[in-house]
Amino acid sequence: MFAGLSFEPTRLPGEAEALRAEVRDFVARELPPDYWPNSDFNEGHSPAFSRKLGGRGWIGMTWPKRFGGGERTFFERYVVTEELLAAGAPVSAHWIADRQSGPLLLNYGTEDQCRRYLPRIARGECFFSIGMSEPNSGSDLASVRTRAERVSDGWVVNGTKIWTTDAHRNHYIITLVRTEPPSENRHAGLSQLLIDLCGEGVAVRPIRNLAGGEDFNEVVFADCFVPDDGVVGEPGNGWTQVTSELGYERSGPERFLSAFRVLVEFVRAVGNDPSPGEAALIGRLASHLITLRRMSISVAGMLQEGGSPVVESALVKSLGNDFEKLLGELVRLQAPPGHVHLEKCLRQTLLHSPSFTLRGGTREILRGVIARGLGLR
Amino acid sequence: MDRLIADTAARIFSDHVDRGVLDAAERGEFPRALWDVVREAGLHLVGSPGSGTDGGDVYELLKVAGRHAVPLPLAEALIANSFLDEAGLTTIAGEGVAPWGRVADRVVTVEGEMSVDFDVAEDANLAGESRDRIRLRSAHRIDVPAQLYERMALSRVALMAGALDRILAMTIDYATAREQFGRPIAKFQAVQHNLAVLAGEVAAARCACDGAIMAHASANFAVSVAAAKARVGEAAGVAAEIVHQVHGAMGFTHEHSLHHFTRRLWAWRDEYGRETHWQEQLGRRVAGGGADSFWEFLVGAG
Repeated sequence: MFAGLSFEPTRLPGEAEALRAEVRDFVARELPPDYWPNSDFNEGHSPAFSRKLGGRGWIGMTWPKRFGGGERTFFERYVVTEELLAAGAPVSAHWIADRQSGPLLLNYGTEDQCRRYLPRIARGECFFSIGMSEPNSGSDLASVRTRAERVSDGWVVNGTKIWTTDAHRNHYIITLVRTEPPSENRHAGLSQLLIDLCGEGVAVRPIRNLAGGEDFNEVVFADCFVPDDGVVGEPGNGWTQVTSELGYERSGPERFLSAFRVLVEFVRAVGNDPSPGEAALIGRLASHLITLRRMSISVAGMLQEGGSPVVESALVKSLGNDFEKLLGELVRLQAPPGHVHLEKCLRQTLLHSPSFTLRGGTREILRGVIARGLGLR
Repeated sequence: MDRLIADTAARIFSDHVDRGVLDAAERGEFPRALWDVVREAGLHLVGSPGSGTDGGDVYELLKVAGRHAVPLPLAEALIANSFLDEAGLTTIAGEGVAPWGRVADRVVTVEGEMSVDFDVAEDANLAGESRDRIRLRSAHRIDVPAQLYERMALSRVALMAGALDRILAMTIDYATAREQFGRPIAKFQAVQHNLAVLAGEVAAARCACDGAIMAHASANFAVSVAAAKARVGEAAGVAAEIVHQVHGAMGFTHEHSLHHFTRRLWAWRDEYGRETHWQEQLGRRVAGGGADSFWEFLVGAG
C-alpha cells in the first residue's frame, strides 16, 4: 500500500536453513570453550577468525564466483550472519567490507576494482571502513566538506572523516567527498573514493568511547593523492551510491541483536520456573525478536529479488534499535541479584546503548526516510 | 489467498459496511442484509472443506474484514464452518461469551461443546460489538480442532492487522489534508516522526500476523500465535494512541469514523488472551527450554 511497507511473508529456503548447523559446528570448533560471546557486531575483531570464515566461503557469499564470491542467495547470507551474531563471534574485522563496501563495488565499481578487491575481501584478508560523517557533518551527509581536487592523473583529497570504525586497523576507506563546489542541488557534486588507509597523507587518530573502547577514529586527509582508478562509480554520483550503500548497512540482523546476550543471561538467571512477571517479560521480548527476524528475512527476500529496500531497511533498523534499548531497560528492572554474567551483559549493553540509535543513521534520520516513504515529505 | 476473493470481499465490505450499518449493529441490530450478501458471495465458506481455499485463507479474509470493521461474527462463522457442516449461523463462545449469540442457530464453545439450546444475555465489548453471554441449556461434545483457542486468538490478530492498515491510511490522509499554521500538519517533523513510529508498528503487526498465518498448518502454530497476539496487541495500543493524537479532537468525536477502528483494536487486543497471557505462555516455553536453547527456539518459531 505504501512504498516501504511491502514486507512480503518470506520463509527461509531449505538450502539456507541447512547452513545453520554448519555455522554452529564451525563456531563451536573455532572458538575456545571459555569464549565470552560479544554482544555486538562491533566488539570482536579477529582477522584470523575472519580469514577462517573466508576460507569457508562465508564472506562475499552472494557475489559472483569470478570475484571470489559464492553466488549464493541473500537468504543463505542471512543465516550465516545471524548465526555468527547469535553466537557472539568476533566478526567486526570483515563486517563492513562484506556488508556494504563489497556490494557497493559490485554495483558501481569497475571490473578492475572488483577483481582487485573483492577476492581479497571474500578471503577475509582485506577490511574496509566507512568514510561518511565529518566533524561538522553528522546526520547532514550532503554537507560534507572533505574535497577532492582534480589533478592530471587523479585527485587530491583534503578534509576529515569521523566515527570511522576500525580505521586504525582496516586497509581501505570508501570516502564521500565533494568533487564540485556546493550548488543549489545539495546532492550533486559528491563522489566516492577508495583510499588506502596506510597510504601517504592519511592520519588516523583513535577516539575513545564512553565504554572505554577504541573502535572508532578520526581520519585526516592532508593532500592525499588518489589515482583515477580509486574513484568508485561516476564522479558526481556519490549521493545515489551512498544511499544505496546505506540500504545494505541498515537491513541486517545486527540491528536488533545488539542486546541479545542480555536476554539470554536473563533467561539463565531466572531458570526454568520463572515468575509470571519474568515469563511475561521474556515472552514480550521474544515476540519482538520473532517479529523483527521475520521483517529482516523479508528484506533479505527483497534484496534477493534485486530490489532496493531503502525504506524497509530504515524501518527494521528503527524498530530494532528501539527494541535493543528497551530490552536492556526492562531486563534491568527485573534482573535477580547475584548473577554476574547478567550484570556484566547489562553494563556492557547500557554503556554501548547510546550508539544503537546513532550508528548507521540516527533514529531521527530513519524516521525521516520512513516519512518520505509514506509520502509525507 | 486468491486475489479474487480478497478483492470481492473488499468490494462487498466497501459497498455494504457504512456508518448506518455500523451504528445499527452497535445498537444491537444484526446486519442481516450484509450477512445475506456475504453468504450469496460464498465468503462465509472460505476455508471450509471443498471450498478450494485453506485454513490460512480464513485469516486473510479476516484481515480484509478488519480493514472495514465488518460488524458480523465472521471470525466465528468462518472458523466454525472450517470444521462443521454449515447449518445457518454458527457462533463460537470463548469464556462464555459469543458474538451475536442472540441470532445464532448454533453455538460451539472453544472447550468443545455444541448446542442449539442456550440462553442469551445480550452484551457488548467496548467497541459496541455484540458479545453475548451464553448459558448452554443442553449440549453435546463434539470434536473441535486442536488449538481452537489459538485459532480464535489468530482471528483477532488478523482483524487487528487489517484495522491497523486502515488507521494508518486514514491518518496519513488526514495529516496530509488538515492544515494548521498555514500548512498540512504532515509537514511538521513532530507529526512525521509519530507517523513513522505508527508505520513501524503497523508493519511489525502485519509481519507478526502473516508469520502466524503462514504457520497455520505447522508445528510452530502455537508459538507463532502467541508471538503474534502479544506483538500485535502491543502495536494496537501504540498505534491507537498515535492516530488519535494526530486526529486531534476531531478523532475523539462520535461523528468521526476513526473510533470504529480504534475501539475495536482496544477490544480485540483483550479478546482470547491479552498481551500478558501470551507473553507468559511464550516466556514459559523459552524458560523451559533454557538459555542455551533460546536462540534455537527463536529460529524454530520461523
